[in-house]
Amino acid sequence: MRTTETGERQCWGCRAEVETLVCARCQAIQPLSGEPDLFAVLGLPRRLMIDPADLERRYHETSRVVHPDRFQTASPRERELSLDASAAVNRAYRTLRDPIALGRYWLALHGVSLGERHQGVPPALAAQVFEIQEELEALRAARNEDADSLRREVGERREDVAARLARLRAELVGLYDANGGPVLEDLRQRLAEIAYLRTLLGDIDETLEKGAQ
Amino acid sequence: MSRIIGIDLGTTNSLVAFLGDDGPLVVPDPETGARLLPSAVAFLPSGEVVVGERARELVVERPLDTILSVKRFMGLGIEHVTPEDRRRYRFVEGREGAVRFAVDGREVTPPEVSSYILRELKRWAETALGEAVTQAVITVPAYFNDSQRQATKDAGRLAGLEVLRLVNEPTAAALAYGLDQGAEGVIAVYDLGGGTFDVSILKLRGGVFEVLATNGDTRLGGDDMDERLAALLLAGLPADLGSRPDVRARARAAAERAKRVLSDAPRAEVALALPGHEPVRRTVTCAEFEALIEEIVRRTAAPCRRALKDAGLEPRDVREVVAVGGATRVPLVRREMQAIFHRPPLVDLNPDEVVALGAGIQAGILGGSRRDMLLLDVVPLSLGIETMGGVFTRLVDRNTTIPVSVKETFTTAVDNQTAVDVHVLQGERELATDNRSLARFKIPIDPLPAGVPRLEVTFLVDANGILSVTASDLRTGRERSVEVKPSYGLTDEEIERMLEESFDHAEDDVLQRQVREARVGADMILHATREQLAREATVLQPDEGERIRAALRSLETLRDGQDYLAIRDAIEALSQASEPFARRIMDRSLNEALAQRRLEEL
Repeated sequence: MRTTETGERQCWGCRAEVETLVCARCQAIQPLSGEPDLFAVLGLPRRLMIDPADLERRYHETSRVVHPDRFQTASPRERELSLDASAAVNRAYRTLRDPIALGRYWLALHGVSLGERHQGVPPALAAQVFEIQEELEALRAARNEDADSLRREVGERREDVAARLARLRAELVGLYDANGGPVLEDLRQRLAEIAYLRTLLGDIDETLEKGAQ
Repeated sequence: MSRIIGIDLGTTNSLVAFLGDDGPLVVPDPETGARLLPSAVAFLPSGEVVVGERARELVVERPLDTILSVKRFMGLGIEHVTPEDRRRYRFVEGREGAVRFAVDGREVTPPEVSSYILRELKRWAETALGEAVTQAVITVPAYFNDSQRQATKDAGRLAGLEVLRLVNEPTAAALAYGLDQGAEGVIAVYDLGGGTFDVSILKLRGGVFEVLATNGDTRLGGDDMDERLAALLLAGLPADLGSRPDVRARARAAAERAKRVLSDAPRAEVALALPGHEPVRRTVTCAEFEALIEEIVRRTAAPCRRALKDAGLEPRDVREVVAVGGATRVPLVRREMQAIFHRPPLVDLNPDEVVALGAGIQAGILGGSRRDMLLLDVVPLSLGIETMGGVFTRLVDRNTTIPVSVKETFTTAVDNQTAVDVHVLQGERELATDNRSLARFKIPIDPLPAGVPRLEVTFLVDANGILSVTASDLRTGRERSVEVKPSYGLTDEEIERMLEESFDHAEDDVLQRQVREARVGADMILHATREQLAREATVLQPDEGERIRAALRSLETLRDGQDYLAIRDAIEALSQASEPFARRIMDRSLNEALAQRRLEEL
């Protein structure tokens, strides 16, 4: 196992050496340092290739040990450790199970910023985005008699965007499983594109919902 | 250690259960053997407070002093009270716009009313177990917001119970279902109670109950069906008769009985006795009833679809749909469930008891007797703060597994700001004003150019779904933390006072209570005004300070006397004298709130 932020320390409970979130000898939860390594929290190596079934199993197992339900009658210190550990375990699972969240976390670990706000439209999307924005604008302004056909058009666009998003997401998983893993800049560009498409999808849904009321 | 009990504090009925050696058990009323305690509380002129079946019968005689469905008002502000509610009860505005009922010469808060129900259930459990009970798990609708959860905890405290955990009702139902059927896979729980609707999608696996998504409507339930049917029964009557609270109460009771009959029969005969008027006799057919309630039932579909979408699932991924809540006995509701999830609902478990049984199981889990089971629940509604331009910035998304802790860094948008107002909100809307305000607090900062300060805000949601917020100035390390006290909630002092009152209530006469309440009101405004005068003297206009101080002194003198009416008048006088001053302070702090900006947006 790699040395991580929770690694190579003494258990506060029994003084045994601990490398994990929970002491193997006395089951005491170990305090977390500042920003815990989310891979280490679930006992995983820092690797993008993650088996979903294994991840869920680890999540459930760790939760069983650290969840506040198990510490209802424990000391205030143990209750606090349980709350912190449980929140960290939940965050780890939330991040690692979703390829997009995982990619972002990976970039952050490597000091790369996604720069999601106030960045221009990713070049690969420019033409499509421009057309959709125009259609949305038209739909928002449309009178009843025109709205139906516009609504259908936007609906079709929505399917295109959703399909593209699904494809990008699947590609991401392929990239993680490939030998050597992704090049950081490639990953950054893909994630920026995904973030943009998600916002666009949100805009479309909002416009469609408003019109439906 | 004494046993932990599980309580289903329902809109219409409440139950208590515990985990026995062979599984969860509902505790009956030791005198009558009834398993459901009607959630009705009646306040009598003698000062006596009656709970349960007797209270429910009193509603016809004393409609304004008998509170049914108090759960609908938990954690709400006076602005949430509907005109329909106002026809049913007398409301008064409490501190900071909190809801209070005026009943028989006194004012009570919704948590106080609920505490009478909890105390009765506690008595049932103590009689059955033969020992004192001090700790409880209480269920709440999954879609309850932070204020509503806090109010439920307060009710527990007022009843002398330490509330170890608030459990979401559909999750509790899933626990009971899972233990009973040993099921694995994805299930949906459709919970239509008296006053609330919840839907939760869960994944059951190896004893772990993981909630994937939840949604709902806290003001939708079987009561709405009764209300519509009652309106139909009263339709032909003269308006003055039909609008009388006692007549309406009778009509609702008759409607509720007819609803039950119509669950099994094609028609129901209704006979509604009326004071000084011919009784209303009418046949209600199933088709008529369904036409009346169709709109209500349809409203459950959208939350179900949203929950499925948030869980990333399609209806076909759901293996079983569990029906919870008395209103799921209505055939139209069952057909709607089938239409939404493409499969007939599971109705094997008693829909009235399944939540209480689940609460009993969770009590057992917390007590350490079921280490094989674990509940992983979620936050029902997104949590965040107000940022520049009145925008709601989310820190915790809905359906995030709890406990959860999130940190974000913010900065200022105005030069030399000396404080930042942190406005905590809950909801799904884009604008802060459209969401529910949970709390507001100030953190002082050193005056610096805009964009330079670094303010770190941490949200921590515990396993009860209750939020606490910490904000710290990263440059100075100055920290301010709040257990989020909901805007309409009770302060610790108020709870202490109510607890004291509840103990000596029997001997307490009305005058003393009035005096004490007036004093509490006086202390609050005295304290607030003194503080404002000390801190914000620069905002005072000429003469204004002297006028406010005069009113302040007059209230200080009267406060210790026995004349509660004079105290109230003096409160009013001080409030009027200081109102323009207070408003200027408020306006200024609003401007400061709007000036915040999210760090990444720079």
